[in-house]
Amino acid sequence: MGGGHDWDLLVVGGGPAGISAARAASEAGLNVVLIDERPSLGGQIYKQPGPGFTVPDPAAMDRQFRYGRSLIESLHGTRVEVRLRTSVVAVEDQQVVLVTEGSPAQTVTATRMVLAPGAHDRPVPFPGWTLPGVVTAGGLQTLAKTQRVLPGERMLFAGSGPVALAFPAQLAHYGAHIVAALEAGPAPNTADLFRIARAARGNAALLRDAARYRSLLLRHRVPVRYGRIVVRIEGDGRVERAVHAAVDSDWQVIPGTEQSVEVDVVCVGYGFIPSVELLRLVGCDFGYDEDLGGYVVHRDEWQRTTVGGVYAAGDGAGVEGSFVAMDEGRIAGLAAALDAGAISVSDASVAAAPARRRLARRRALSSATSRLYRVGPGIFELSTEDTVVCRCEGVRQRDLDAAIESTDDINVAKAYTRAGMGPCQGKNCQRQVAALIARRHGHTIADIPLATPRMPVRPVPIGALADHSIVGPTLFLAGEHERGQQ
Amino acid sequence: VSGASRPQRWVPAQSTRGTLPSSTDVLVIGGGIAGTATAYYLAKAGVEVTLVERGELNREASGTNAGSFHLQLAIHQLSGQGTEGDRERLFAEARLSLKAFEIWQKLGEELDGPLDVHLTGGWMVAETAEQLRTLHDKHELERLAGIETEVVTGSELRARAPYLAENIIGATYCPLEGHANPLVVAPLYALRAVQAGAVIRTHAGVLSIDVNGSTGARRFTVHTEAGAIDAHRVVDCAGAWSGEVAAMVGLRLPIRSEGLHVNVTEPRPPMFTPMIQHIGRRLTLKQTEQNTFIIGGGWPSPAVPPPRRYPTIWHSAAGNTAVAVSVVPGLADVRVVRTWSGVIVFTNDFSPAVGESAKVSGFHACVASAGFTFSPLFARQLAEHMIAPTAASPFPQRYSLDRSIDQ
Repeated sequence: MGGGHDWDLLVVGGGPAGISAARAASEAGLNVVLIDERPSLGGQIYKQPGPGFTVPDPAAMDRQFRYGRSLIESLHGTRVEVRLRTSVVAVEDQQVVLVTEGSPAQTVTATRMVLAPGAHDRPVPFPGWTLPGVVTAGGLQTLAKTQRVLPGERMLFAGSGPVALAFPAQLAHYGAHIVAALEAGPAPNTADLFRIARAARGNAALLRDAARYRSLLLRHRVPVRYGRIVVRIEGDGRVERAVHAAVDSDWQVIPGTEQSVEVDVVCVGYGFIPSVELLRLVGCDFGYDEDLGGYVVHRDEWQRTTVGGVYAAGDGAGVEGSFVAMDEGRIAGLAAALDAGAISVSDASVAAAPARRRLARRRALSSATSRLYRVGPGIFELSTEDTVVCRCEGVRQRDLDAAIESTDDINVAKAYTRAGMGPCQGKNCQRQVAALIARRHGHTIADIPLATPRMPVRPVPIGALADHSIVGPTLFLAGEHERGQQ
Repeated sequence: VSGASRPQRWVPAQSTRGTLPSSTDVLVIGGGIAGTATAYYLAKAGVEVTLVERGELNREASGTNAGSFHLQLAIHQLSGQGTEGDRERLFAEARLSLKAFEIWQKLGEELDGPLDVHLTGGWMVAETAEQLRTLHDKHELERLAGIETEVVTGSELRARAPYLAENIIGATYCPLEGHANPLVVAPLYALRAVQAGAVIRTHAGVLSIDVNGSTGARRFTVHTEAGAIDAHRVVDCAGAWSGEVAAMVGLRLPIRSEGLHVNVTEPRPPMFTPMIQHIGRRLTLKQTEQNTFIIGGGWPSPAVPPPRRYPTIWHSAAGNTAVAVSVVPGLADVRVVRTWSGVIVFTNDFSPAVGESAKVSGFHACVASAGFTFSPLFARQLAEHMIAPTAASPFPQRYSLDRSIDQ
């Protein structure tokens, strides 16, 4: 353990929310450290080119890149200490255990924490989803942004959500050949456009981006097909073709509508889900809201969670995109400063007011588009009994079905099948397991508590974890209890 | 293989969630390995038996221990070797271990399902000259008790266990040690019990027990979260909570419990087969069927209020893995992916509480330290007693439910 620093505020996550929180709290006078796992700040959305890549002409890069760079640069001149390639692996009250790549674990003390862990691709199990050649939108975007690489020749994009069309547009821009983009949600109708127009105030940049992505798709002749979903992917050891079908408004597949297309890459992007591991580990209360990515931490108007001194912001607290993340992060940073007594309620409220106004406008737009982008329950019914649900442990749905006959407890299903015991610790399968349990036992997915959260939140090499200065407890001896030991 | 029908391995939820019967001959309290095994052996002999469990089956010590069979004597067993009485107890325990182990070897056949029972052998290592002397003493006692072990040192140890660190100067090897899969044993006992006629009710925590002052069918009325049930006999198999259950009939069982911390890693290519323990430090280490490493050995997971109860702590993870990597340096780059905690039961004198109370007739218990190893044996012996009390040999006095809890 040992050798820690003391911080007023520790911010986890160097994306838009974390950067904004760190900056706001630091400007209000708090002593702030900002932690991120990646080699550079920016988060998933503003992911910067990887080590070894230089950008001679930033103006030639896309808007997102430029926006991210200016966000990161906004930390220059602040007193925020940034620690990169560093993971938070455990939290016990105000003790936070950090593991920096290649170094032993270090425990630091932080009075308050803003958790802005971001989101990851929604995993969607369906037949063939584990074949080589199936990639997630986030993974493909990472390849394109950090390594400037595109896999494959003929790509099908399948997904949904406000950024669903942004991906194929960006990828087409990078030179990918996209044979079609499938959007599971419905095509916008006149009423949708009317609702969107009414919510347009203050969202010009977002809507301009949407229009730009649409025109990019048109320019690169990428056909967009609404109300269709990939139902299976076939191929001998790799992707050879994808079969897609029409879905109704609940994303239930409509029989007899299947079509097949020859492709070598299928990019899947059904939006994002919050990375909740740390928030669960510290004991925050959760709700369930499919529109925000499923399991969503409870928080008040100052981004305070139900655990004292812990704040949540950004996509990790409900997926609403980078603009919302920045404003939530700012409010969380101000709240930490307010609760620390560094600024007054009125100063904090004044400073938070512009962010609150922007948030209200973003959320008005989100509700205007929710009919288009709502993830339907049919998403959980694409897997068949042969489909691998837990990739880490190779657990198929039929194994889970058998276990779920005997229990509606996800911990028990995990113990019986090993689903969720692998390196990802259930990040990728728990939601599907919960959905299977809910379906079998007549519950809703929101009613299924997730498995007991345990540290470490990220895998830690024993060499980094082991602390040889710790003197072990004595071995159990008869009568030990009577000698007054605990 | 697609379409292949798989044998049933778990009791279906619809047969554990029904209404509680109004009466039973034997009521077993606790759905861990002791309770499910007791219910199985009783039901197989035609005894009417009902098992109630507070939560789900196999969720506490029975399902959260590391599944090891320890045959080598542990330091606590050696600590009291001075007197003749202690030596006798030690030998009795050793013989008991061998007997328990015999049951385990045939248990998969008995329950007709894979329990992943593997004889891997086991090392107990020493780092200091003093520890090595203890290993020699231990080996001599084990020889007298009939447990096969050998002390291995120097170049022979290097040759046979090249994965051990240079500073390990000696180790005892016991070929009979091994493990089973704690996640499947109690559930399979439960399934076979139900198939033999036992009734199992989960989510039926026991709230209170009336002792009705008579003998016979209404000797006990047990009030549970799922209703009340009359029972002729009661068996307390509540493990860490067996003291609380016994207190409901006015008994004080000599039971205490602690939360223990376990670490598990990602899978790696096979590095070693035997289980590894340390004679002087808290360590048990093994590589599993899934090729993950399980690192435990008694590091604490202190109790906190529900719902978290026994959260795993960094201090234990860091200390436990430090011992592990100092014994097996090859673990340094293996990543720990998860920790978990389980509750472990102790008696101060390390003897189990098995049999019928003399003070409260009809009230039985089946609770043991190292309960995973011993429960199949004790449950079978207890069932034999309950089926034909006169035919079965009596339990030793030191197992008594009524013995003083003060030293």
